[in-house]
Amino acid sequence: MRTKQAGMGLLGSLALGAIGVALFGRGRQAPPARRRLLEALALPPPVTQPVERLRSLRLGDTPRGPLQRWLGIPSSPAVGRTARIRAARRLDRSAGLLATSVLLDSALEHYRGSFRNPAMYTPLGVSALSLAASLHGTGDPRSGRHPFRSTIYAAAALTGIVGTGFHLYNVTRRPGGFVWQNLFYGAPLGAPMAISLAGLMGSAAEHVRDDRPGTAPRIFGLPAGRMLAAMSGAGILGTVGEAGLLHFRGAYHNPAMFLPVTMPPAAAALLLNTAAGPARRDRWITRWWLRLTALLGFVGVGFHAYGVQRNMGGWRNWRQNLLNGPPLPAPPSFTGLALAGLAALDLLEDEPDA
Amino acid sequence: MPDPSRYPGYDVLRKRHTPSWNDKTRQVIDARLAVPREPRFFDAHELATITAVADRLVPQPRNRPPIPVAALIDDKLHKGQEDGFRHEGMPREREAWQRGLAALDAEAQAQHGAPFLHLSGPQQDALLKQMEQGALNGPAWGGMPSQTFFKQRMAKDIVFAYYAHPTAWSEIGFGGPASPRGYVRLGYDQRDPWEAAESKDGDTESALRKNRHVG
Repeated sequence: MRTKQAGMGLLGSLALGAIGVALFGRGRQAPPARRRLLEALALPPPVTQPVERLRSLRLGDTPRGPLQRWLGIPSSPAVGRTARIRAARRLDRSAGLLATSVLLDSALEHYRGSFRNPAMYTPLGVSALSLAASLHGTGDPRSGRHPFRSTIYAAAALTGIVGTGFHLYNVTRRPGGFVWQNLFYGAPLGAPMAISLAGLMGSAAEHVRDDRPGTAPRIFGLPAGRMLAAMSGAGILGTVGEAGLLHFRGAYHNPAMFLPVTMPPAAAALLLNTAAGPARRDRWITRWWLRLTALLGFVGVGFHAYGVQRNMGGWRNWRQNLLNGPPLPAPPSFTGLALAGLAALDLLEDEPDA
Repeated sequence: MPDPSRYPGYDVLRKRHTPSWNDKTRQVIDARLAVPREPRFFDAHELATITAVADRLVPQPRNRPPIPVAALIDDKLHKGQEDGFRHEGMPREREAWQRGLAALDAEAQAQHGAPFLHLSGPQQDALLKQMEQGALNGPAWGGMPSQTFFKQRMAKDIVFAYYAHPTAWSEIGFGGPASPRGYVRLGYDQRDPWEAAESKDGDTESALRKNRHVG
C-alpha cells in the first residue's frame, strides 16, 4: 500500500517536474568557458592608467569594502553587463515564483479563514503586484532600476514583516497562547516571510541591474552574489522550518514527506558555504543540488495533489480537501529560493563574457 | 412571503447529491423519509395519541412539512429495535409503550372524562406534567413508574424521532452526518459554504441567499 502511494505520488510528481524543467530549465544559454578566463588571469596586465585599471577589474576581482574585510569575506568577481542583467532577470523570475506561491497559498488559506480581518486581503494584492513586477523584470533586457518594480518589491518585503506580526498576534490570542497546538493550527508564523523573500529577491534584482558595470554588484554594501547566496540559504532554512512543522503535524505518514526537510537543508548549507567561501570556483555540486531542490518544489505539488486525493471524498470533495489537505501552492517556494541560489552562484562564478 | 425561521431557505436534503453524502447516507435517509404513515405496531388511536403528546413536547415547524414522529416510533417498535437495556421497574419497550398509552388515557378519563386525545392543550400539558413528576399511579400503570416511563421512554423516543428527521435538521440548521464530508472552519461563528447560514439581526436576505447554495 505504501509503495503504491509513493509510486502514485512519484508518477504525478515526475509529470509536474517535467513541466517545471520545460518552463524553467532554459535559463542558462551556453556554459561559460571558464578555462579561458583562468588563462587570462594567469598574466594580469600592469595597471597604469585609470581606464586600464577599470578594464583589469572587469577581469579580476573588485576590491573588498571595509565591512567585507571586517567580516573576513573573500573578494568577488566583477560582473559584466550581460551577466549582470541575466542574473537580475533570473532573480526576477525567482521573485515571481515566490510571489505566485504566496498569491495562491494566501488566497486559499485566507479564504479558509473567511477573510475575517480585512488585512487578510493584503498579501493577495501585494503578491499579485510582485508577480506583475517580476514578469515585467523577467522580460526586461535593459539595465538600470525601474521605479515601479523597486517600489513594489520594497512594499512586498515590508508586507511580509507586517504579516508576521499579524500571524504572531493570531497565534497568541488563541486559547493557550504560544503552544504547539496553536503553532500547528493557527496562522502559520513562517508563511508571511515568503512574500518578504519575494520582495528581497526582487529588490536584489533591481540592485544587480543598477550597479556600475565592471564592478561586483552590491547589496547593503556586500557583494550581491554572496548576499544572495546567504539570503536564499536562510530563506530555504526558514521554509524548511515551516515544512518541518507541518509535516511533523502530518506525522510524516508518507516517506516522501522527509524530502523537504532533508534535501533543502543540504542546499542551504551549500549556499551558505558559497556565500562565505572563495569565489570563481566551479561549484557543480551546489549547482546540481540547487537544481534538484528546484525540481523538488514541483514534485511537491504532485505529492500534495495526491495528498488531496487521499482525503475522504478525494478530489470530488475538493471544496473541503483543497483546504483540509496539504497546500498545493506551498512547495514551489523551494523552487523560487533554489532559483535565486542559482542566480547567486552565477554572480560568484567567473563571467568571461563580461 | 418571507421565511421567518432561523435558517431561512435551508434544506439539508439539497446535500443528497453532493460529496456530503454517500450511498449509505442516502440509503438511511431515504428509509427515514419513506417511513409508512399507517399504523403497523400501534393501532390508529394509539398513533393519534402519540402525535398529540408529540405536539405538546416538540411542536412542528410552522413553515415546513410536519415530521411523522408517531410513525417513526411505530416503525422502530414494529422492527423491534430496542435500547438493549431497561430502567428499574420498566417492561420491555413495546409493552411499556402500550401500557403507558393506555394508562395515560385512563388517567385522562378519570380526571376529565375523555381520552387524552380529546383534551385541550392546557389539560394535556397538566397531565404530562403530572406524569413527569411521577404523580400518576393508577392501576392501569400495572406498577410501571409513570415518571420513568415519561422521562426514559415516551419523551426520549419522541425527541429522538423528531430530531432524526431531515426536516428537523433543516429547522435547526444541522448539516446531517459529518462524514464523508466534514468541516474545515471549526472556530466560533465560522461557516463552511456547505453549512446552513443563520439569519442574524433580521438580515434574512443574506442567509436566504447563502442557504440557496448550500449543498
